[in-house]
Amino acid sequence: MSDAEQPTDDGVSGDDEFEPIQVFPEAEEMDLRPGADNCYKCSTCDTNCPVAEVDDEFPGPKFQGPEQWRLKRQDDQDVDDSVMKCSNCMRCDSACPSDVPLSQMHNTARGEYVEEQMEKLSREYIRNRILANYRRLAPLGSMFPRTTNFVMGLSATQWLGEKVLGITGERDFPEFATETFREWWTKRGGNATSKKRAQKARAKRGDAQVRSDEKRIAYFHGCYANYNTPEVAKALVRVYEHFGYEIMVPDQHCSGTPMFANGMLEDARRSAETNVRELRAAIADGADVVASCSSCSMSLRQEYPELFDFEGTEDVAENTWDAVEYLRVHEDLEGELEDTSVGDEFDDFAYHAPCHARNQGLDGQTTDVLAAIDGVDAHDVGDSCSGISGTYGWKAENYETSMKIGAEMFDHMEESEAKTGLTECPTCSMQMEHGTGYEITHTLEVLEAALVGDATEATAQ
Amino acid sequence: MARDTEVLVLGGGSTGCGIARDLAMRGLTVTLVERGNLTDGTTGRMHGLLHSGGRYAVSDRASATECIEENEILREIAGHCVEETGGLFVQRPEDSDDYFREKLEGCRECGIPARVLSGREAREVEPYLADDVERAIEVPDGAVDPFRLCVANALDAENHGARVETHAEVVDLLRDGDSIYGVEVRHDSGPGKRTHATPGTTEEITADYVVNATGAWAGQIGAMADLEIEVRPSKGVMTIMNVRQVDTVINRCRPKGDADIVVPHETTAILGTTDEEVADPDDYPEEGWEVDRMIDTLSELIPILSEARTIRSFWGVRPLYEPPGTGTQDPTDITRDFFLLDHADRDGVSGMSSIVGGKFTTYRAMAEEIADHVCEKLGVNASCSTADEPLPGSETIETLEAGMDDFGLRSPVARRSKQRLGSRASEVLETEKPNPVVCQCEGVTRAEIRDAISQSGSDLNAVRIRTRASMGNCQGGFCCQNMANELHPTHDEETVREALDELFQERWKGERHALWGEQLSQAMLNYALHATTMNRDRDPANENGDVDFAAFDGGRSGRTRVDGSRRAD
Amino acid sequence: MAIEDDVLVIGGGIAGATAALAAAERDVQVRIVSYKQSTLRNASGLIDVLGYTPAGDGPLADPFEALAALPEGHPYERVGSEAVREALAFFDEIAGDAYQGSHTDANALVPTHGGTVKPTARYPTSTAAGLASDDRDALLVGFETLPDFEAPLAASHLEATGAPFAARGVTVRFPGIVRDDAKITRYAHLLDHDEAVETADETRAGEPTAREALAETVRSHLADEARVGFPAILGDDRADAVRADLADRLGVDVFEVPMGPPSLPGMRLEDLLYEALEAAGVRVTTGVPVVEYETDDAEASATGPERIDRVIVDRNGAEIPHRADQYVLATGGLVGKGVRSERERVFEPIFDCHVPHAADRYDWFVDDVFGDQPYARFGLPVDRDLRPLDAVDDPEFSNLRAAGAVLGGYDFAAEKSGSGVSLATGYVAGRRAAEGCR
Repeated sequence: MSDAEQPTDDGVSGDDEFEPIQVFPEAEEMDLRPGADNCYKCSTCDTNCPVAEVDDEFPGPKFQGPEQWRLKRQDDQDVDDSVMKCSNCMRCDSACPSDVPLSQMHNTARGEYVEEQMEKLSREYIRNRILANYRRLAPLGSMFPRTTNFVMGLSATQWLGEKVLGITGERDFPEFATETFREWWTKRGGNATSKKRAQKARAKRGDAQVRSDEKRIAYFHGCYANYNTPEVAKALVRVYEHFGYEIMVPDQHCSGTPMFANGMLEDARRSAETNVRELRAAIADGADVVASCSSCSMSLRQEYPELFDFEGTEDVAENTWDAVEYLRVHEDLEGELEDTSVGDEFDDFAYHAPCHARNQGLDGQTTDVLAAIDGVDAHDVGDSCSGISGTYGWKAENYETSMKIGAEMFDHMEESEAKTGLTECPTCSMQMEHGTGYEITHTLEVLEAALVGDATEATAQ
Repeated sequence: MARDTEVLVLGGGSTGCGIARDLAMRGLTVTLVERGNLTDGTTGRMHGLLHSGGRYAVSDRASATECIEENEILREIAGHCVEETGGLFVQRPEDSDDYFREKLEGCRECGIPARVLSGREAREVEPYLADDVERAIEVPDGAVDPFRLCVANALDAENHGARVETHAEVVDLLRDGDSIYGVEVRHDSGPGKRTHATPGTTEEITADYVVNATGAWAGQIGAMADLEIEVRPSKGVMTIMNVRQVDTVINRCRPKGDADIVVPHETTAILGTTDEEVADPDDYPEEGWEVDRMIDTLSELIPILSEARTIRSFWGVRPLYEPPGTGTQDPTDITRDFFLLDHADRDGVSGMSSIVGGKFTTYRAMAEEIADHVCEKLGVNASCSTADEPLPGSETIETLEAGMDDFGLRSPVARRSKQRLGSRASEVLETEKPNPVVCQCEGVTRAEIRDAISQSGSDLNAVRIRTRASMGNCQGGFCCQNMANELHPTHDEETVREALDELFQERWKGERHALWGEQLSQAMLNYALHATTMNRDRDPANENGDVDFAAFDGGRSGRTRVDGSRRAD
Repeated sequence: MAIEDDVLVIGGGIAGATAALAAAERDVQVRIVSYKQSTLRNASGLIDVLGYTPAGDGPLADPFEALAALPEGHPYERVGSEAVREALAFFDEIAGDAYQGSHTDANALVPTHGGTVKPTARYPTSTAAGLASDDRDALLVGFETLPDFEAPLAASHLEATGAPFAARGVTVRFPGIVRDDAKITRYAHLLDHDEAVETADETRAGEPTAREALAETVRSHLADEARVGFPAILGDDRADAVRADLADRLGVDVFEVPMGPPSLPGMRLEDLLYEALEAAGVRVTTGVPVVEYETDDAEASATGPERIDRVIVDRNGAEIPHRADQYVLATGGLVGKGVRSERERVFEPIFDCHVPHAADRYDWFVDDVFGDQPYARFGLPVDRDLRPLDAVDDPEFSNLRAAGAVLGGYDFAAEKSGSGVSLATGYVAGRRAAEGCR
């Protein structure tokens, strides 16, 4: 109800009388009611929702998205609290046969809910804020990785996490690497070294333009590959250099994925602003952007343009690639992998396609590509969701749901012959390990083993 | 001779129901008969604008003044049917400055609160307004649900002892010389609540006085007693958008013309309209160019409309009237005022008056005037209280809005339900039984559907206008069936089948005018669901059971066949 | 570099999957690119071949008899009735025990959730015990929280069709469902995993499992019926086990009544097809649309049709080229968005193939909702090789075939022929595409 009291009949416009409260600086762009136009109620989204399948309390994406938006008026402020049960896996997005912007609707509704309805001093809010801002905490942890790993592993710490913050005590915190990727990268000589190595590789490959600037990528490593699994980031560097690419590692913030999932749109906006600025500059320098984490690439490609409009947002989205897909389209990756092998290190894999890779049409890619390597087979363990969905499965109230969702994947992993897990998403990887005890690796590490072999950094340098 | 009723009101639109309520509240015995459902005529076919009077502020200041008075009254007595959206008269660069000024002056003179907004301010209020909108006048227009408002009047009339018969078509006026003393009606399914698949009956209803409130159909009623009533029915198209592109009533600020208003109506926005005289209010062409004009012309104000999804279009017929000899050519020039034709004075036939002309916003004032007239005729001394007594649903509207109880429903569903039901919300929604949502587009739950069924029998269209179920983007494709399911077991299977078919066909009627883009895909999905998945188009139950079941596959295990033999594989 | 395959199928519903499987039988590399999820989960999961003639005669006890008499341009007429039989046999092999009906040419009459019966050629095993020509009495069970299926009403309706058995319906509470708006996948999951549930019955010690509690609830309503029908929510991944378990506990046959969208039998059919695709080595790329194509200029002759060189897949703005020798278009009809429309026109969005339609949109429909609807026939006309034809009946491209609901000239909803046409045309298009590879 917008104007029960009518202004006086003075016939003059009064600026001061009109101060609509804007939750978001571009509030008008956040109106997604027109997005409901595409929905024709088929419920395909609901059948793809891993949360609705295990939890009655979640009414499914059709309600959370087009129905809730259609029932809304501009100034209604009663987003249903069940929106916080959405894990932001975004499967509904790729399911919808009619292009309803479901995840955008969820992200926006969640943002409104957190902004308007959530108690800011609540344990839930504080906990979510902490989980969403992993990148701010991670540097502290990785400064003293061994101490942190030790403390985080203590049962007393986990008990505190659960009781005080609602972070489940069932999970082990990810270990921090003793050397972050960026530390390694700097020590290795940064871009200058990479440039030389790329030139050398091009010469060796017989590339026509050894001095060409065209083979240049900007690597968006994200938080996890930097602090926790630098071996994945290093694998990317070596594989790309093998193909003669010069690598740049621009300054970067969190991609925003955990912030979207927690409705912390303002935090996400700040991070996105930095990322867009830095990546756009790299693109202007002739680089394409690649990411090794499927949620990071998803965020840069899809969520940024849906939620923000910094200058260059579209440009970044259009020039960002998944690391394997990029090689597949720009190089003869499968040809190069023919007749390679990976020795005893790897055998068969139980491969899980992360939801955020699936959403980008990348679900079949890893099995396709790895099939070219002798003696390696990646068995797809089905299209179920791992259930962790970033920070979702870390919350005590979601832990059980998260494990229920993951049960199908665990079963399929155990049914498969392979004893190593494979995926491109760091949190899926945690979940796979947590549910099966398998060691989990990343596709890029397998490619590194096939293409670069055991050539350690020391000998190569 | 004792009559069945003191007053017999013909027509179950806003005027008829308003009159019935008014007279019943004054203590008279009243019977109302309606050919179809309540609101089936013009009332259910309007754009849902609760006039501030701004639209008439230049051309017809008497109407404008009356509108703002009634607007304020309806906000009080029918809060649960009204949404106080506010309205804008929007000026585009090509629209006249003089007219804009006249509009503003007119509003002031008629007591309509109005102020000017710059183009930028107007776009802050409604972000989808065109970039080149110059300025706007803000007025207290509102949106009103004509269905629920009309039904609330009928309900309150019944609460005061009136008899309301829907699906009771007047087939003859009972006339004794120069005196009319009642009507003969044909009940579609016997008197009382409608039940499909029940044979019809006829009934003579006698009355001390008859009020012909059939609007555009008044001439047809008059003809039954050889009375000539010169109604000039004029059609107008309205196109319903799937979502609200605007939350404020948007009027084009220019003298007159087609396609100059968008009304946010519940979950939708309604584009209107045209004004074209027709010969027969039941039979006139509904044409695609009229729909196109709504979209194309209004896109000048709100560009997003050209890409947006429409879910249906419908046409209404205005009951325009002008006294014989006025001779206006263009129907847009015919006055929107109403006329009370006392056939005793006019034609020398006593016992009946006819009401023609008028507009929805002022229905209550019209009803009051007519009720005064009837009382005078009958020598009754009783005063009107309809402006002070809230309608059912609006008695305690403030406490309801403040109330936090969501009845276990998701919050947007609860909000919508409470807005529709008003103070009846807890009575209807508080239930121990499971209360799933039956119509997902509009957020209507089982409890609300069943409440409507208890009011209106097996008539699902009557359920629809009370609840909005099946009025959303699937146009009943997914919920018609589920609404019909709620009729069982109160109503038997055959009744349910007929009721379902009728509602499904009615939904199709309007959806035909929106058949492109998303709505064509929707129509195909609806068709596939009903014809393929349910085989409702060739339902063997409709074909008198002449299917030879024994000729079909009885299963691999070779079950006993109908004739007792074993089937050989 | 383009991503290369021999046969590229665009669309992943029954037609696309069947085309890919049929092509993969030959020694060629096949890929499916599908954008969004198929409309299979909107459909009942039944394989209708032909239930009524285009003139509305039926229900047809023998669909094959009527195939020969179909008008020119009907997809079945294009491929010939022998191909329909071959495609069904191909499907039977893929489906194995999951589907029944192959033992006879006769159609079966399957009860629908609206209480009618519908003629179909193949039906999921989960519905087999419910056939309407089976004269055993049936109890139908509905759930208070699932308003789509009103069992007592459906039972009365079934009797009104003249079915040769007595039907009775009851409505019960589904044990373990707490919210009234739980999704059907939640019901299926509860039964699949046989989760422990809380019941209202306080006399029971401990928590029964979902199947146990459901059987318990239904048992008290069961009289001497020999079979019990439920809405189609009896499990997803482990539907057979769920049904067998319930049948054991109840001591009678258990069947499912197919439901509208979202349909678990449709989802199970999709799973079955995708497992077959994986086994056949078909590569599958989902979630990305094909947005453009490029022709091979070198191959274009002065008179013959153009040849598609590559198609462009859009991935959030990046263009990924896919090249194949032969292409199959199986993108669905109006619902699947393989055919789209605007106020002035109806079109096929990827290759802009010709879609015949009246110029005035008021000629796209008739006033009776179940009348002979022109819009239901929108789609591509094709030659006998299933190549889409342009406005003057020449093939649009030399290496593009179309299959399934994207085809025009038939009303699958009225004829009950949707899945059958998808199977038959998908099978033929896939086989011919593989044969056409250089």
